[in-house]
Amino acid sequence: MKVSYRWVRDVAPGLELAPAEAAQLLAARGAPVEEAIDLGAGLCDLVVGKVLEVGPHPGADRLLLCQVLGSEGPVPVVCGAPNVQAGAYYPFASIGAAVPGGLRIGRRKIRGVYSEGMLCSERELGLGEDHDGVMALSGEFAPGEPLAAALGLDDTRLDIEVTPNRGDLLSHIGIARELHPSGQSSLRLPPFPGDADLDGVSTVRAGDSYQSAGVRVAIEDPELCPRYMAAVLRGVAVGPSPRWLADRLRAAGARPVCNVVDATNYVMLEIGQPLHAFDLSALRSGSIAAGPARHGESIATLDGEVRSLHEGMLVIRDSERPVAVGGVIGGIDTQVSASTVDILLECALFGPAGVRATRKGLGISTDASYRFERGVDPTITETAIRRAAALVLAVAGGEIDGGIVDVNPSPWLAPTVALRPSRVGRVLGVGFAPAEISELLAPLGYGVESGGADQLDVSVPGHRSYDTLREVDLIEEVARMRGYDTFPDELSRFLPGTVPDHPLFRLEDAVRAALVAEGLSEAQTPALAPPEHGDVPLRNPMTREESFLRRDRLSGLLGHLERNLARGVRDVRLFEIGAAFRAAAGEGAAPRESARVAVAMTGRTAPLHWSGMAEAFDLFDAARVLELIGREAYDGARLLPAPIGSAPPAYLPDRCLALVAGEADPVGWGGEIDPAPLNLPRWAGAVVGAEVELPESPSVRPAVAVREVPAHPASERDFAFAFPADVPASEVIDAARRAAGELLEALEVFDLYEGSDLPEGTRSLAIRLRFRSLERTLTEREVREACRRVLGRVKEETGVEPRG
Amino acid sequence: MIDEASRLEADALAAIAQAEDHAELERIRTLYLGRRDGLVSELLRGLGRLSPENRPAAGAAANALKVAVAAALEGRGAELEASAALARPTVDLTLPPRRRWRGSVHPVSRAIADVWAIFRSLGFTRARGPEVDTEWYNFVALNTPLDHPAADEQDTLYLASGMLLRSHTSPVQIRTMEEYTPPIRIIAPGMVYRRDSYDATHTPAFAQIEGLVVDESATFVDLKATLAEFARRFWGPAAQVRFRPSFFPFTEPSAEVDVKRVIEHSDGRREEKDWIEIMGAGMVDPAVLENVGYDPERYTGWAFGMGPARVAMLRHGVADLRTFYENDMRFLAQFA
Repeated sequence: MKVSYRWVRDVAPGLELAPAEAAQLLAARGAPVEEAIDLGAGLCDLVVGKVLEVGPHPGADRLLLCQVLGSEGPVPVVCGAPNVQAGAYYPFASIGAAVPGGLRIGRRKIRGVYSEGMLCSERELGLGEDHDGVMALSGEFAPGEPLAAALGLDDTRLDIEVTPNRGDLLSHIGIARELHPSGQSSLRLPPFPGDADLDGVSTVRAGDSYQSAGVRVAIEDPELCPRYMAAVLRGVAVGPSPRWLADRLRAAGARPVCNVVDATNYVMLEIGQPLHAFDLSALRSGSIAAGPARHGESIATLDGEVRSLHEGMLVIRDSERPVAVGGVIGGIDTQVSASTVDILLECALFGPAGVRATRKGLGISTDASYRFERGVDPTITETAIRRAAALVLAVAGGEIDGGIVDVNPSPWLAPTVALRPSRVGRVLGVGFAPAEISELLAPLGYGVESGGADQLDVSVPGHRSYDTLREVDLIEEVARMRGYDTFPDELSRFLPGTVPDHPLFRLEDAVRAALVAEGLSEAQTPALAPPEHGDVPLRNPMTREESFLRRDRLSGLLGHLERNLARGVRDVRLFEIGAAFRAAAGEGAAPRESARVAVAMTGRTAPLHWSGMAEAFDLFDAARVLELIGREAYDGARLLPAPIGSAPPAYLPDRCLALVAGEADPVGWGGEIDPAPLNLPRWAGAVVGAEVELPESPSVRPAVAVREVPAHPASERDFAFAFPADVPASEVIDAARRAAGELLEALEVFDLYEGSDLPEGTRSLAIRLRFRSLERTLTEREVREACRRVLGRVKEETGVEPRG
Repeated sequence: MIDEASRLEADALAAIAQAEDHAELERIRTLYLGRRDGLVSELLRGLGRLSPENRPAAGAAANALKVAVAAALEGRGAELEASAALARPTVDLTLPPRRRWRGSVHPVSRAIADVWAIFRSLGFTRARGPEVDTEWYNFVALNTPLDHPAADEQDTLYLASGMLLRSHTSPVQIRTMEEYTPPIRIIAPGMVYRRDSYDATHTPAFAQIEGLVVDESATFVDLKATLAEFARRFWGPAAQVRFRPSFFPFTEPSAEVDVKRVIEHSDGRREEKDWIEIMGAGMVDPAVLENVGYDPERYTGWAFGMGPARVAMLRHGVADLRTFYENDMRFLAQFA
């Protein structure tokens, strides 16, 4: 909401705050000022100059020599403008004055004559484009008077952020009410030039329709339109607005259009009531009614669009067709134009819900709809139409035909809200006496009366009748008017809550810590993806790239890995924790949402070091990370080669591992990424990755039950098995483990050899077994016995014999 | 004789202590312990000239002298050896260490973790809810009718089914209250989604941290005090908090919370930063409590919501929010 602060002061005499102070107070009351613009910026050195004499310049035909009276005695001024006239007033910059743009006026000799100042054009002052002559000021001025004041530019425009609940702040009156110490009671509507007294004009009231001055006014749907007032003005002359009106609108950031429209806009900005003027001659059968649109209707609106209307949208119609979208926008056929002579002035109350639905349906928002959606004061309708009518008569001439019609089926009654002072204290934490509450609320227009023990009966004024209808709304008003900063901030005792810390957060923290310790950097990507990476489409996406919910997290991470490589970053180690979404089983059911952790790595496993080359990441690094996440997230999780055909498409099918917990489907996958669909530079090495679905509610880990630290020495034995390449190593390893029995403390695979001295299609696996007993030192015989069992069992189960 | 032994010992030990190399030590050894004409050997030879009754004591003194000088020679020799080893190292210690990659927590996660650490110490636990939610949880239960400007579909991402991506973490308030009874004292970090295009201060998905307290005695003063305490712990003891009235459908009274960071430099200079809007807060609207079946006459509550990415931007001097979501290793690694 843009307001002219000068206008605000005009409607609240006695308001003494400077604009900056007003801005501060507004912020403290919940309506922060986003911008305060000094409209007279750059004009502070300029004054009104009166030209006393105009004579020829002795040395130049095209120049004039004037005597100008400014703040000091008459001085000679050389001027080239053809329109300078003796006795007239002009913007004047005397010696030493700066004009906008920074030029400072000095004493100059022009063709042999000293000029002691400058008369200025509109363009020189930044007030307009006119540079054909100096800017003539119309009216009477005191020579030397500051120019900004004379032009009404000693003003500040405040751009105020108004929250959606405060429709009452969308007017100069509303802002003034918040700022003036005595609020509501200080407000008045200032007279304007030509202000006519309309006291003699009567208002005729009717229940649902009324015929006056040959015009029938009706309300067809009191939900959509609770009140409709109208006045017929005949014989107006449409033309430009007088300067004061145009200046005032401009100061408030509005664009002057023509006198009749400007008059309605003026009243809207001043009081907050939107109005509309119809060309009466264009209204068929002189009839006007507010109600729902009918099936198949359309209207050409003022913005040049033809809009089809949905049934039930709020429209104003004449006897045949919609002529305006009520509270939103007028129709082009009935708009006021240069040829308009008679107008019908509409001043109605439209319900917020109807206006909102209608304007959303049409996809537009206007100054009027913005106000009706937020609620227009139901008590100002008549004030507004009388002021607007008087203003039209003042600026466009004409006269009122008949009375003012007021169709008002159920007149508004001020609601009363019961407020308990004890409850105010209970919610705010600071006690309030009834008198204090009353003092805080009265300036806003609330009527406060005692309603018995611990009860105040508060009558709500029209301008707050949309947002303060409950006790708690009034409590907020009390807090707001007292000032939030006046409340202490002392901590008080509290009881612990009943909600346990969600275990999934703890798991995420543990996984994050483990992966950071692995040297991975945490990334964050939105869970929105292009269609190829999602199952669940958005109804109203913004771009194709983000039109689905992401099916997995790895795909997003691989995109970031690609971008890093494209920027020449060769070592990329990213992980991410976030949600992924699968389509629901049933129609309309919620998609299945799960917390995921994903990893993508490429480059070297360690920074380069002088002691040796670091290795490149391969699938066994992915396996380590997969196992690591599995260990944090699931009890007894283990890695298995992905069964044929089961690997997710991101992986090379023969280089993919599944993370399995229990008997269910795999909870995660990891391995070497298929580079084909990726956009990788030629120099890029293998990319590996993993993704694990985290359990919805992870079980709390039992405390570690400590095993005794062994006191007796261990015996280690190394074995090498040569076996066909198509026998999985795990078969040999598992058989060895089972055979070694309970004396086995550890089994490590320490070498894999596929050299040319082995038979074709054979490889050799080296295993170290460590045997130990907690009770005693093992005898050589016991160890030998265990080894024999291992060799025997491996041969028996896999056919593999030890190597030489 | 015994005096002679003490004098020799003092001289020898002083000379040994000052010896700077092995050659010098060898010279001293020969001088004192030389078999033929060493000073100690000569002293021992002189024993024969002593009377029998003086001989044992003098002999013991001379032998002690011999042992002491030999031990001192050996000790100093070892010292010289050690310092010689230091002087010509076998390993070049100026070579860089064998480093491993250092991982890093995303700056927004870090902000969430730090916020959580503070609220944890103030008695809060963490709650969570789904990112895909219903209009009921995202709007209606939060006292935001669907035709209210705050529920504008222009700002919310919907699924075809009519479900939506939550536009704030406030639905977690409803879900938590439905499941548990007061006292409630939670924060709820999570991702939220808006129909915003990418620019320096907007992304369609971003993190938010919700806070909710419901109890029989929760007041506006508590809310102010708790958030002021949070700000002092997060931004330093001189940080100031300002509450301004605002509007959220699910709180009343509602406030915007601004923080002014005040940096106290070590030289005593105080640097006051500008006020910055950091969160929205307010007393839980009684209609919200009614919607979850709480008695608003018995319970009052307060809630707040903040953007950890904004906090992280301030903290790390990041001017463009998009930087956080580009996931450039060279950016992320700075937080290692």
